[in-house]
Amino acid sequence: MIRNQLLICAGGACITSGEKSVKDVLVEELAKNGIQDEVQIIETGCMGACDLGPIVVVYPEGTFYQKVTPQNAGPIVSEHLVKGRVVSGLLYRQPTSETRAQTREEISFYTLQVKRVLRNCGVIDPLSIEEYIARDGYFGLGKALEIGPDAIIQTIQESGLRGRGGAGFPTGIKWKAARDASGSPKYVVCNGDEGDPGAFMDRSVLEGDPHSVIEAMVIAGFAIGAATGYVYVRAEYPLAIERLEVALTRAREYGFLGRNILGSGFDFDIEIRIGAGAFVCGEETALLRSIEGKRGMPSAKPPFPAQAGLWGKPTLINNVETYANVPPILINGAEWFRSVGTAKSPGTKVFALAGKVQNTGLVEVPMGTTLRELVFDIGGGIPGGKAFKGAQTGGPSGGIITADYLDMPIDFDSVKELGTIMGSGGLIILDEDNCMVDVAKFYLAFTVDESCGKCTPCREGTKQMYQIMERITDGKGTPNDIGKLKTLGRVIQQTSLCGLGQSAPNPVLSTIRFFPDEYRAHIEDRKCPAHACLHLLTYSVVSEKCVGCTACARQCPVQAITGQVKKAHVIDQATCIKCGSCYEVCRFDAILKE
Amino acid sequence: MEPDKKVQSPEKATALSVEDRAFLQEVVERDRVEHHGRVSYMDILFEVEHRYGNFLPGEVLREVARLVGTSVAQLNGFVTFYTMLSTKPRGRHVIRVCTSGPCHVTGAPAVMAELERLLGVGEGETTPDGAFTLEGSSCLGICGVSPALMIDDDAYGNLTPKDLPGILAAVRAGGAQ
Repeated sequence: MIRNQLLICAGGACITSGEKSVKDVLVEELAKNGIQDEVQIIETGCMGACDLGPIVVVYPEGTFYQKVTPQNAGPIVSEHLVKGRVVSGLLYRQPTSETRAQTREEISFYTLQVKRVLRNCGVIDPLSIEEYIARDGYFGLGKALEIGPDAIIQTIQESGLRGRGGAGFPTGIKWKAARDASGSPKYVVCNGDEGDPGAFMDRSVLEGDPHSVIEAMVIAGFAIGAATGYVYVRAEYPLAIERLEVALTRAREYGFLGRNILGSGFDFDIEIRIGAGAFVCGEETALLRSIEGKRGMPSAKPPFPAQAGLWGKPTLINNVETYANVPPILINGAEWFRSVGTAKSPGTKVFALAGKVQNTGLVEVPMGTTLRELVFDIGGGIPGGKAFKGAQTGGPSGGIITADYLDMPIDFDSVKELGTIMGSGGLIILDEDNCMVDVAKFYLAFTVDESCGKCTPCREGTKQMYQIMERITDGKGTPNDIGKLKTLGRVIQQTSLCGLGQSAPNPVLSTIRFFPDEYRAHIEDRKCPAHACLHLLTYSVVSEKCVGCTACARQCPVQAITGQVKKAHVIDQATCIKCGSCYEVCRFDAILKE
Repeated sequence: MEPDKKVQSPEKATALSVEDRAFLQEVVERDRVEHHGRVSYMDILFEVEHRYGNFLPGEVLREVARLVGTSVAQLNGFVTFYTMLSTKPRGRHVIRVCTSGPCHVTGAPAVMAELERLLGVGEGETTPDGAFTLEGSSCLGICGVSPALMIDDDAYGNLTPKDLPGILAAVRAGGAQ
């Protein structure tokens, strides 16, 4: 007889924080106390609050234990489960008061979220199809088979669901185009090549709720008339591949995949295809080439995949998060889906909070939520009392949303007006220590590296832009560099073959637009206001403050600091490697960093 | 993107043993059955790479090309496009330091620099004892615990340079985390 359940977050981040050892300790403690038959341990998918991991939740109470370690996990069994006493030391401490939260419902990181895509992540065992079914799993498929392809597509169209992979294209239109396309066989593809730096919602869905994607793909197959589906997952996500494989096997055993699904006469099966570290494969035409066993190079559209996709056949391709939205829409209807979000971007969006923010992790909120709510209410603000400078969205294809727009509702269209894109939902929070020129250069380096080389504007143009950016951060910029960057950027945007090149200039153009002073400081004053660009940084000794303690001279790895004991020291600028160790070690505030 | 000269070398092509040939044939045939006649190059190459010390020797690629029914040029083009496949020898363990945005702003450059110092090799190089190859990686998707890295299939997060000696020692000793 099971009286308690222990949910342990086995998402990718919690595993790196030691989830496996925590689980081992809990199993051992249960046996030691003789209650292993009364308590069930369930390893779930990602619970979202990655910085609090490893996380253990005790049911039925829902007690939320965070930052559990193998050393402090024991009392969860010996105190909580044996004696009924909550282990208060492991509860989450509310940031604004001395009180501690007992359950997820008391933590603002969770209470402000609306979990639709992540409905099962962190709640069920992703390896158990029974648990998925118990949460209305495959009910949407049942309904889909009943109402037929036209009604399915009509429901998706009415819901207003837009592609969560970045561009926000209406999903229903894609489905209809694939259904209407002539040609056979047709294919259904799931784009799980989540390459945007800082976005990890697709990984979490595949790891935490793989059946939701499988169910949606079967529905899609039925709607467009396909018999084969492919899930394209990156090799960087071995856990997602492993859990997806298990889920596919279970789904076949239960008759949700294979021949004559649920007695409907409809046949459909899914295969996994693996990507191996080429960012451009997230672009749909490139991804299809990769599945075909070719170099993942994009091709011009039209023809769109819906007309000529895999092996030249009509192909429906959607992203993981988009698919995960589909089963609940079929169960609850289009109206339900539109009940949250904005008129033009209904539903929720999963964001990945990362960078300089207190609470990192995955959060799902209605479209139209403001950046302030995301960063400060849910994210808990910026660590160390630093100032919020901006949020980088859309990875290397996006730009910056600045502090001036903290109260703007975020949806596909509002962010586009700011010259950035929603992308797949990565939000990298930047604070006053981040140099915007450096950040833009960093993303440009990424696109230069990942450009497949097929079209000239992307291959050559991004390289030219990068060289100018490098010149600026090296302190060799010229006043007309900004104009050159803008012109070059526009040409690349307008003439590149695929989305990678068309969006590659965005980080640079966006930072020039919102932080022109920073660019000017680099070019005209040869200074980096954020002290991030090493070539523009100098360390010097303020002789009035220096007491000659010699601490800096002893710390300096290249012996660039000289001076007699109890006399002011001097840093030789030619030798200094700008490592900052003198700045760190000085107790008299005598090192000037500028 | 430079072509692997070994691929064109006929004398190397004969270097495969009977066991090698049987292994490769078995991998390709199994994949063909699993994928209903349409082989997945990636699955085959990952499995083959695993057996041949984390890289794809030219003579092996040549045999795989023959077995799957494509040209060596086509297969070589495929292999050199994807950064996780290698035609150059790599170490027993491949360290992939995430160099993407969130990790960059939270300290990945310092992690990479410390690994270069500890291993005595630069990014993209292999230690002389053949234990480790150090690579930069695209986003590993564990940004919540950035900076992060993966060694083979195991991920490590919330890294500081001082965590690295312990991690390397554990991997050398054969244990994961």
